[in-house]
Amino acid sequence: MRRLVSLVLSAAAAAVVSSGAALSADAVKIGVVLSLSGPAAVFGIPERDAIQVVMEKLKADGKLKRPIELVIYDDKTNPTEATRMVTQAISNDKVVAIIGPGTGGNILAAGPLALRMQVPLLGPAGTMAITDRKNEFYPWVFRVAPSDRVDVKVILEDMAKSKAKKIGVFFQEDAYGKTGVDFAKEIGATLGMEVVETVSAPYAATDLTAQATRLRNAGVEAVFLQVSISSLGASFVKAANQVGLTAPAYANAGLAQRSFAESVGSEVDGLRVLSIGNLPYDPSEGEAELARLLKQAGKVPQGWGELVGSNGLMTVVAAVNAQGDKEITGVTMRDTIEGLCGYPAYARGKPCFSKDSHDGWAEDSLVITELRNKELKTRR
Amino acid sequence: MYVLTEYIVRGIQAGSIYGLLALPMSLLFATAGTIDFAVGAYALLAAAVATIIAGPLGIAVAIAAAVTAAAGMGVIFLVLTRIGTKDHIVFALASFGLAVAIASFILWQFGTQAFVRASFSQFWSLGGIRISPQGVINLGLGALVTLLLYLLLYWTDLGRMMRAAAANPSGAELAGIPVARIQFGTYLAGGLLGGLAGIMILYSAGLDFTASLSLTLGGFGAAIIFGITSPLRCLLGGIAMGVAEALAAGYTSGMVTAMVPFLFVLIVLSASNLGGAMAGDRP
Amino acid sequence: MRGFTRRPNTMIVLGLAVASVALAARDPVWTDTWVIVGVFVLIALSTGISYGQAGILSMSQGAFAAIGGYAAAVSTLRFRLPPGIDLLIAAALPALLAYGLARLVTRLTPLATALATLALGSVIEIALRNMDNITGGYIGLAGIPGIGIIDTPLKYCVLVWVMICLCVLMYENLVNSPFGRALNVIRHDRTRAQADGVNVPQLLSAAFAFSAAIAGSAGWIYAHYISYISPNSLDTHTSISALLMTVIGGSGIILGPLAGTVFLDVLVRHLPAQELQGMFYGGALILILILAPTGLLGLVPALLARLRVHRAPRGTTKAATVEREATQ
Repeated sequence: MRRLVSLVLSAAAAAVVSSGAALSADAVKIGVVLSLSGPAAVFGIPERDAIQVVMEKLKADGKLKRPIELVIYDDKTNPTEATRMVTQAISNDKVVAIIGPGTGGNILAAGPLALRMQVPLLGPAGTMAITDRKNEFYPWVFRVAPSDRVDVKVILEDMAKSKAKKIGVFFQEDAYGKTGVDFAKEIGATLGMEVVETVSAPYAATDLTAQATRLRNAGVEAVFLQVSISSLGASFVKAANQVGLTAPAYANAGLAQRSFAESVGSEVDGLRVLSIGNLPYDPSEGEAELARLLKQAGKVPQGWGELVGSNGLMTVVAAVNAQGDKEITGVTMRDTIEGLCGYPAYARGKPCFSKDSHDGWAEDSLVITELRNKELKTRR
Repeated sequence: MYVLTEYIVRGIQAGSIYGLLALPMSLLFATAGTIDFAVGAYALLAAAVATIIAGPLGIAVAIAAAVTAAAGMGVIFLVLTRIGTKDHIVFALASFGLAVAIASFILWQFGTQAFVRASFSQFWSLGGIRISPQGVINLGLGALVTLLLYLLLYWTDLGRMMRAAAANPSGAELAGIPVARIQFGTYLAGGLLGGLAGIMILYSAGLDFTASLSLTLGGFGAAIIFGITSPLRCLLGGIAMGVAEALAAGYTSGMVTAMVPFLFVLIVLSASNLGGAMAGDRP
Repeated sequence: MRGFTRRPNTMIVLGLAVASVALAARDPVWTDTWVIVGVFVLIALSTGISYGQAGILSMSQGAFAAIGGYAAAVSTLRFRLPPGIDLLIAAALPALLAYGLARLVTRLTPLATALATLALGSVIEIALRNMDNITGGYIGLAGIPGIGIIDTPLKYCVLVWVMICLCVLMYENLVNSPFGRALNVIRHDRTRAQADGVNVPQLLSAAFAFSAAIAGSAGWIYAHYISYISPNSLDTHTSISALLMTVIGGSGIILGPLAGTVFLDVLVRHLPAQELQGMFYGGALILILILAPTGLLGLVPALLARLRVHRAPRGTTKAATVEREATQ
């Protein structure tokens, strides 16, 4: 009889917990709002894939002190949609933190919501403006990737080693491209390099030979590529080769993608590409583990999207674990994250947040790679 | 001077792609009075398929895929005419719906990868200007297609029927010409030419899943410059647009270069009478 | 009382607005959604006014809304204007631009106008995102303040639906006025209108400008509600969606754009997410264009007629149907 009663009771308890009717004191809900369609999907889809496989692994290994449930939304690379999804995640699903939204603009749009509803956003974007202290919502936005400024600084420092004085920039016509140019001018000047010519193109440009010709005619000694659309990057290097623009090219992390490496021919061997880690081709120990998890789930590592996505999840997990059995709200999550420094993550480098610095990752997570034989080899 | 010439040469090479996209626009407008927004999507589809399947087989399958998609549009067109749709904008909107659907299908099936293939690593030199053989092939193909179209339109019975259907649809109908079938065939031609353009882009600059609407607008811009109702001038229109873009990229800012196709459309439309009658006049 | 019965559409939308806002108030997600839907309804209505009344098929309403939104953002952020004043700027600026450019587009057939306005909208978009000093370039403008006492989502919801009711009222008045009747004649036969002494170019320009003003005011609410505006917020996609919503709902019918917007928004929310969305969106559009060519609301008279025929008693059926067919 007693066994039957306890069986019924535990079944009832399980039913209550799984129906979600009463949020048990234990389970924590985390929102994932990423760009799963639209131009930023090239990063958003790998980010989501990594979050999902890592979540499975953590559950299987019993590494979670309390159950974490993910709710996943697509912000369609659109700021209006991003705010809708964030509202939905917070109001309907009662999440206590959100990994996302997927792009800088979407994070800026969702920032005020995070402030009003007191739920932190962990943004996987490099756009400087999201952690600008002047933002009213600054306390509620964290960056789980190195910022654009850090990226540009590291790749330009590598470029400066080649003693180039006059450099040219090719950028894509969007926020990423434009801010990259501005930083290149600013940081290049401190490194003794002058940006003598800049050319740009929209995502769907069909011919870039004119742009490449213009850079060649300006006599640049090195070319900086601020591009995140791999077909655009591939078009440009092809065009550069065609018109005889022989200056060495250095690409920012936007092109550190498998689809870029595989779409260019051997004529661009030696192209330097900045990357956040090197998951697909030359992984560190942690990265190799992540790659293994992805491959087991049938996903092919694309670049650094998976790493950045996992950064977001690992930050959340560290914060949840650090709070033990206490009640978790958006406010407690934010406070805990601000106190995290040095916790397990798959990416290289030591992640560290503080009240004054909401940028968790820095130079130590970046590597310079070189394109050879359709692969990006890490330069030692 | 040399610099200017180089930009012009580059523009001519690039423009043949616009010309090829413009041809079906012009043909369709002449025979059915409407625009096929999905031409860029056919190009994208062909490029995507040819990226997956290598070699000549890939090209053949790619073009077949583009023609099949266009056949789908043709069927939609026939259904719409059967139920009595007279407003040309409805056909255009339906083609837009198809364009959106195809782009989404490509994202779903092929992912976010770039569609680009290396072609030639050797370059020819034309008076010191390096030219890729691919660019010459593109131009040659464009010229060949235009020639074939000319022969078709003016030397064959089918061509005569097409011209009749374009000039006076009801009269042609009365003369026993299957106007609806010709219009369907024109949509198919759009698939063929769009697919061909897609292959050409694949081997030149490459593209990805966001490209379809820009390609369509570029093709439309090239089509209207010298008169949308004369398909044979489309290649010239494409070259004009390519040269304008190259000059803009070479001498002005990114902003102006991006505006070139749209400014083309605006200037030409405001200065001309698209397709004849003033809006709203009784025929 | 006569004023009310003469304006059935306004009455309908007033009732709908009250009911829907009351319903939306019960859940924050619904409230948020209903504000955004309201903004898009306004933009679609502006397309409907332009196309349904003046025969100007405009694909630049998104761009006009963006101008309105940026005007609101810049006025309140940079010039610190009080909240209501920037509505005037947000409506006036696109209207002036539209009036100036109207001659360009109003001479053309609807298809040509569509393409011309598409090109125009794209040019505006490119210009906006390159004017870094004013519009914040690609990043856009964040931290746009609210509209005075309107500070909760529910209040924004009420505001936008009040604006929609006003817009429908104006639309209905226009249709019943001499201007509206003149526009009607213009749409059917321009030469006839000119023969009647109507100043065709001026009237069309005014109609286009009016629709741009409505779109601008939609942008105004958007900017203040989301408190962030970027080149991606209201762009060519918005214009195209607005056109689709108008056509699907019924472009010649006053409430058509409203029906189309609500329908499409519901449709999009229940589709399997992510990559397949575009396929269903496009496919649904094609289906609707085939099955309901005069728009969803265009089906209503036919449906009503069917119901009446079924309800008529046996003996009088024949006469009733003949009469109905004669008057349709």
